[in-house]
Amino acid sequence: MTDDAPPLRKIIHVDMDAFFASVEQRDFPELRGKPVAVGGSSQRGVVAAASYEARVFGVRSAMPSVTAARRCPDLIFVKSRFDVYREVSGQIREIFSRYTDAIEPLSLDEAYLDVTEDKLGIGSAVRIAKAIRAAIKAETGLTASAGVSYNKFIAKLASDQNKPDGMCVILPDQGPAFVASLPVKRFHGVGPKTNEKMARLGIQTGADLREKDVAWLGAHFGSWAEGLHRMARGIDYRPVRSSRIRKSLGGERTYSEDKWTETDLREALDGIVEIVWDRIAERQVRGRTVTLKVKFADFRQITRAHSLDRAVTGREEFSAIGHHLLDTVMPVENGVRLLGLTLGSLERDGEAEETEQPRQTAFSFD
Amino acid sequence: MKATIERASLLKSLGHVQSVVERRNTIPILSNVLIEAREGGGLKLMATDLDLQIVETADAQVETPGTITVSAHTLFDIARKLREGSQVEFHAADGRMQINAGRARFSLATLPRDDFPVIAEGELPTSFELSAQDLVAIIDKTRFAISTEETRYYLNGIFLHVAEDGEPVLKAAATDGHRLARVTLPRPDGAEGMPDVIVPRKCVGELRKLLDENGEARVQIDLSASKIRFTLGNAVLTSKLIDGTFPDYNRVIPTGNDKLLKIDPKSLAEGVDRVATIATEKTRAVKMALGKDKVTLSVTSPENGTAAEEVPGAYSSDEFEIGFNARYLLDILGEIEGDSVELHLADASAPTLIREGDKAQALYVLMPMRV
Repeated sequence: MTDDAPPLRKIIHVDMDAFFASVEQRDFPELRGKPVAVGGSSQRGVVAAASYEARVFGVRSAMPSVTAARRCPDLIFVKSRFDVYREVSGQIREIFSRYTDAIEPLSLDEAYLDVTEDKLGIGSAVRIAKAIRAAIKAETGLTASAGVSYNKFIAKLASDQNKPDGMCVILPDQGPAFVASLPVKRFHGVGPKTNEKMARLGIQTGADLREKDVAWLGAHFGSWAEGLHRMARGIDYRPVRSSRIRKSLGGERTYSEDKWTETDLREALDGIVEIVWDRIAERQVRGRTVTLKVKFADFRQITRAHSLDRAVTGREEFSAIGHHLLDTVMPVENGVRLLGLTLGSLERDGEAEETEQPRQTAFSFD
Repeated sequence: MKATIERASLLKSLGHVQSVVERRNTIPILSNVLIEAREGGGLKLMATDLDLQIVETADAQVETPGTITVSAHTLFDIARKLREGSQVEFHAADGRMQINAGRARFSLATLPRDDFPVIAEGELPTSFELSAQDLVAIIDKTRFAISTEETRYYLNGIFLHVAEDGEPVLKAAATDGHRLARVTLPRPDGAEGMPDVIVPRKCVGELRKLLDENGEARVQIDLSASKIRFTLGNAVLTSKLIDGTFPDYNRVIPTGNDKLLKIDPKSLAEGVDRVATIATEKTRAVKMALGKDKVTLSVTSPENGTAAEEVPGAYSSDEFEIGFNARYLLDILGEIEGDSVELHLADASAPTLIREGDKAQALYVLMPMRV
């Protein structure tokens, strides 16, 4: 080991098993042991989560409900209850916080914990992971899988290794071999397209990737080369960030019937403004950019953005900009199936003063 | 309809009229110019975008009076390409308009005049005249500060209002929330009691072009709370006013700024422009360090490097630093005609007042940048 190698860390990745679906099976016993999909069953619906019984049939999250129903004719669709999921998510985070404050939530059902130094002085990441899984089971009635390792990249790969209700520990000397043994499609950032491209280049596993040098990777994957090079060696120095800096906040809706008329679209947009601004207000974020997303019946998607040189002042202005952006796509040449609105270029209160970028100040007229 | 007009006068009138017409139109007739051949001679040309309308009259021989509309940009392009000095003959019949000039012949598609939207002016109870020179001053010294943020539509124009400042005055103001520009003139006869109005940016732009070319010494202005009409010789520009409330801008004009810098606007502008070269961000921030009888301008760019320049000026207050957007500073300095400008400063986060002197027509307020 060289002198400048960073100190060894203890990272846990906790991932709830089929989270939304498991919550539904917990609360509605008649669903237990059955293939369940959370999400709308309509023509337009998308599966938000699938129970393990449904996954056997090839039902996956983000799959169109129509496809899911075709793969699993007995699939039971249940409506999502995000308020409940959010509540359970809060319970889980409270459990994490007993052991460490270095918690980086990735979503409602997933988080990284840095337990290099734990609050209770347990000292063993493996024992902490066991205790957390037991507490989750006892207090929420749900199961979680955990990956324990020395960085985020491997911890996440490990939590997936013995799912569901499982745990996997990868020690520093096992890391490179573990990564080498996995198919590259399990690596973060390697989606179907990249996987296909890698397959064409003869890369199936981490070991294959490891054989390539940075220059070769650069030629084929551009600026991602160094990242891939590190990944193939199981190296990841990213810290666990307890408050992830949010870059945008928004929401969207898919409509059961395509919208064509200005009246319908304006009304639909008002509905989205309502939902999104509530989230913005709740989190007290300020942002300068408003982005409108429009998906048409033929699945063509466009976005239109408007940036101010200051933060959006309130719901009224947010709405006005949204409608102004809608003006730019009117009249629509195709039915609209989805509308979304996002507030971006976020700053937190007080953060503006800390940034190093020069900032134009404004008059206060009132 | 049948009429003949000289190419030069057609081109001049069309030049004004066609620029009101938006390039992209969803309503076809808004792409057209209305041409009316008048009984007894003369052509009336008219164009609109529903918010702004221009009517221009030109000399012409009229054989058969009548009215028709054709594509404004097509007609303008044709007029541009016709031979200098040629006589242009219009002849509208059977849904087409024939244009003959020299050996060139065109036949254009038309739309009926009845579909052409005309802005209903209603009553315009306030009437006064301004010299072209004063109107140019109002526009040139304020228009750069007009906001382009469409969500703050009430800032998308020049605010005109009358007030009593020891004597009756007419004030014109524009702001984008970061800078404010105001011009004060003696109140013209007839303007007393006029409603506060916000003249939209596009109207301001078209008016300015007409002022450039028309050579008229005086401009007649008629207005109500919702419409304004400018009459300059052969051209009449009518615009809807912005329906909104302009903020009480007087509140942001500082009165107690006690640090005074007197400096040559040209040297300061040149210095700002030079050091800003190094800035890479979209908004180029220039730091001004005020010291005894000099200003040190500097820019630091993380990527590019640094630049600094000292400009001599009269200053005897406390030393301090303040940042400004270079563009905003240059916009203002560019409108200072004399060889001395006053910057009244308070501190690095307070509005700065800029003017030639306390008798100057124009006054500017600029918010700093935090650097």
